[in-house]
Amino acid sequence: MSAGMMTDAVAAPKRQATHTRRIKRHGGGSPLIYLIALVVVGFTVGPVLYGVLGGFRTNAQLADKPAALPSPWVLSNYTGVLTNPSFWHYAVNSTVIALLTTTIVVVFGMMAAYPLARYKFRGREPLFLVFVLGLLFPATVAIIPLFILITKDLNMGNTWWGVALPQAAFALPMTVVILRPFLMALPNELEEAALLDGASRIGFFWRILVPLSGPGMVTVGVLAFVGSWNAYLLPLLLLQDDMKTLPLGVADFSSEHASDTAGVFAFTTLAMIPALVFFLALQKRIVNGLQGAVKG
Amino acid sequence: MRLEILFFVAPALLVFLFFVVWPIIKAVQFSVYRWKGYGPLVDFVGLKNYASVLQNEVFTDAFMHNITIVVFSILIQLPLGLAIALLLNRKMWGQSALRTIIFVPYVLAEVIAGVVWFQLLQPQYGVIDTILSAIGLHGPEEGWLGTPDVALYTVIAVLTWKYLGLAVILFLAGLQGVPEELYEAASIDGATWWQVQRKITIPLLGPTIRTWAFLSMIGSLQLFDMVWILTGGGPANSTTTMATFLITEGTKRSNYGIASAASVILFVVALVMALLYQYFVLRRDSQDAPRNKRAKR
Amino acid sequence: MKRTPVLRALAVGVGLALLGACSSGGSSNEADPSTSASGGAKDVTITWWHNSNTDPGMSYYAKVAKDFEAANPGVTIKVSAMQHEDMLTKLDAAFQSDDAPDIYMERGGGELADHVEAGLTKDISESAKDVIDKIGGSVAGWQVDGKTYALPFSVGVVGFWYNKALFEQAGITETPTSWDDLYADIDKIKAAGIEPISVGAGDKWPAAHYWYQFALRECSQQVLTDAVKSLEFSDPCFIKAGEDLQKVIAAKPFNKGFLSTPAQTGPTSASGLLATGKVAMEMQGHWEPGVMQGLTEDKKGLGENTGWFSFPSVQGGQGDPAAQLGGGDAWAVSQKAPDQAVEFVKYLLSDEVQKGFAEQDMGLPTNSTASQYVSDPALAGLLKVRDAAPYVQLYFDTAFGSAVGGAMNDEIALMFAGKASPQDIVDATQQAADAEK
Repeated sequence: MSAGMMTDAVAAPKRQATHTRRIKRHGGGSPLIYLIALVVVGFTVGPVLYGVLGGFRTNAQLADKPAALPSPWVLSNYTGVLTNPSFWHYAVNSTVIALLTTTIVVVFGMMAAYPLARYKFRGREPLFLVFVLGLLFPATVAIIPLFILITKDLNMGNTWWGVALPQAAFALPMTVVILRPFLMALPNELEEAALLDGASRIGFFWRILVPLSGPGMVTVGVLAFVGSWNAYLLPLLLLQDDMKTLPLGVADFSSEHASDTAGVFAFTTLAMIPALVFFLALQKRIVNGLQGAVKG
Repeated sequence: MRLEILFFVAPALLVFLFFVVWPIIKAVQFSVYRWKGYGPLVDFVGLKNYASVLQNEVFTDAFMHNITIVVFSILIQLPLGLAIALLLNRKMWGQSALRTIIFVPYVLAEVIAGVVWFQLLQPQYGVIDTILSAIGLHGPEEGWLGTPDVALYTVIAVLTWKYLGLAVILFLAGLQGVPEELYEAASIDGATWWQVQRKITIPLLGPTIRTWAFLSMIGSLQLFDMVWILTGGGPANSTTTMATFLITEGTKRSNYGIASAASVILFVVALVMALLYQYFVLRRDSQDAPRNKRAKR
Repeated sequence: MKRTPVLRALAVGVGLALLGACSSGGSSNEADPSTSASGGAKDVTITWWHNSNTDPGMSYYAKVAKDFEAANPGVTIKVSAMQHEDMLTKLDAAFQSDDAPDIYMERGGGELADHVEAGLTKDISESAKDVIDKIGGSVAGWQVDGKTYALPFSVGVVGFWYNKALFEQAGITETPTSWDDLYADIDKIKAAGIEPISVGAGDKWPAAHYWYQFALRECSQQVLTDAVKSLEFSDPCFIKAGEDLQKVIAAKPFNKGFLSTPAQTGPTSASGLLATGKVAMEMQGHWEPGVMQGLTEDKKGLGENTGWFSFPSVQGGQGDPAAQLGGGDAWAVSQKAPDQAVEFVKYLLSDEVQKGFAEQDMGLPTNSTASQYVSDPALAGLLKVRDAAPYVQLYFDTAFGSAVGGAMNDEIALMFAGKASPQDIVDATQQAADAEK
């Protein structure tokens, strides 16, 4: 990422040359490549599309011809889910918990990665190692002690924070591991210049580092958001009734309305939309951010 | 400066220690007791739980399943992901839409993906078997998820579907970091597209691939959700993973001591693999890194 | 495990009978207004977890709770209707953190013994004496060392549910009484181009029930009673049970993909296959009609085609052929719950509430005065078999506790996959039992 940033800033004139050459180098796509792309797309969205379309069919249609288009198209499955107040409760809970998790992860992760990346002090590497080790421990392992901690010691069972805090804690190692090399790669000259201008290190962090790290923060933010959105086991233990999240709702719905396959498809389809939209909106920036992350 | 470091690190560290490290320490403590999940910890059994886990065929099988998943994930997703990334890195119509689409499965919750795939894979009534029989083929007699010899590979196929997008996006990100000058030089030398990929792009993608492989490995070792939804570890324990083993022992059988011992073993396995990987593979990257950086400036 | 009734009974007619029950609802419990008043501002809240998370069961229980509140000012009942699996997971976690609901479902056997040993469950032998006397023998499964810890509200037995129309189509006129009959019927059904039996081996316990049933037929009552106490499985009858089961599996009567078939979720589950006429029969508990109703779009299940027969006899077995495998659900009160919780549980077992329970086909009432209100003919037949049984053996996995029972079920499921021998089942069970000692 550092290199990318630098070239963006320093080597702007080169851009145009790059552009024309790029076309020559890659030479467009041959039919074969489009065919491969089509297969990939089919494999990727096929199952999702099947679920989406299945929601527009009746159970009788599904049972009669499992692999067919809706005929006629029915909207009742979707309207049924959308007029179900539980669905909206679940959606709000999922959103709030995911946003809380993301905020904690991005703010705390960024703060922690900063000294780990740019300060030189004894114990820096061991401290970093603590976070790296956290990557290796799945939340399933600690789920029962975690449950006691949240419900009994903190009395935060069945609350948004009770889920968001441990989720953020388990997402922090990944965040720190991704952000540290990202921050390390920012040129020292920037920092030296800022310090010469009389900025404190904290000032440098807020005014220069944070703005420059946008793509990295988007990346870890999205990873945290998606992780929280998809989480199943921890919410299952901690949340009840109207506090449930969408994955729990999907699981509930698919067992309560087990015979209503089309309804299940409609419910799952609607449950996946928010995460998809969120991702689509930020897709470009995520790719940019990951670029910095994986380059180290 | 001390205070500054403290100020920056403390919030993350506190949250981390409180919600990750402390429960883990408790898990280690549970692992040396025989404990039903309630009441006081009194029945100290030393390392007996560890012995019984390691002697349990279901656990050793589960361990082998994890290893199989690690190996297959890398063997399938690496070439496939690389090929798709190289393909998408070319200028072509609909490129950005393609990139988006390929990442879609990764964004879906495993519960949601699992519920949908479970329907698709049903024997007889599922759409996959329906399509196969329409072209004169048929799936396994007992179903894709119901035949012990097939189920694990079915799960691997679904995992490939779910996580290929991550590999592609990471590789694409890595590809964008390959300096344009190198391509320029290569094309002046008259290299073909394939030569450029093989000699320049893929080697330069090394660090990205190694990072991805590490993440993939850890994820495969900890695999739980998807298996739980698709098969619950069955049929006939043919798809158990270490994580499903420990959840079964814990929540279904209330053998929390044994479950905790299994979780500690899982941690140690992941740790050892990570350290080996760090030592043999990733070390090259950290040594290379400073040189690269200087070269780029 | 999803063994309890999923209580998806008929949607119609919750109304009148219940309204009747409501109006007289409070009469049977003693929280009269004066005591409440003298208690002053001491309002209590009782938490109650149950698994009737679909209607009519959910609304019925909500109403029952409201009625009790109305009759007992100051008492608030916080009802949580949960999906069954969720409830079990949460109960485990809640016990662990000493945060159990005041009233919860208890399946008896080894599980209850563990809870009692850990001091989680209230001894209600004295406080609910009148109800216990009324229920009679069914309470036995919920007693530990002579003390009663829960009141069973539904107890049933496991047998074969079958599709009368398909049996007719296959030319079967009488239900089988011995396994030889059943094997002959299986051949007839196959010859008619129908899959004979569905089994939810994916969930393991439905498969394990076959072994339990054979053990019940092969082993004498004494051997079984001793095994529950001593956790010794050396009697050769346990091996014979495995051999009987192997014979069944070799006859290939089961639905396609049975190894991964779930018990009762979805139209392709074992219950769903029976409900939708895809198989001729399934061995399941008394909750099956309710489950099947929930799995068909018309909410009728097999309707008039629902038939039931008990597990056939085995030649040369030591067990009483009339003995039945069964179990049920009981309301237990947690140790630190207020006294009013016991009163509420007693109310749940009262004539009125059990009557409504029976009328909704939510299960098999244990209160004998309510038995007559079971309208479903197949269930009424089952009830007769239950009452005529010399003894009802609690499901082994429940009786032995989850650790031993789980290991046992695992190994039996492996036998269904052709990967375990009769000896393996005994060995695996014994090994898990020894770890408990």
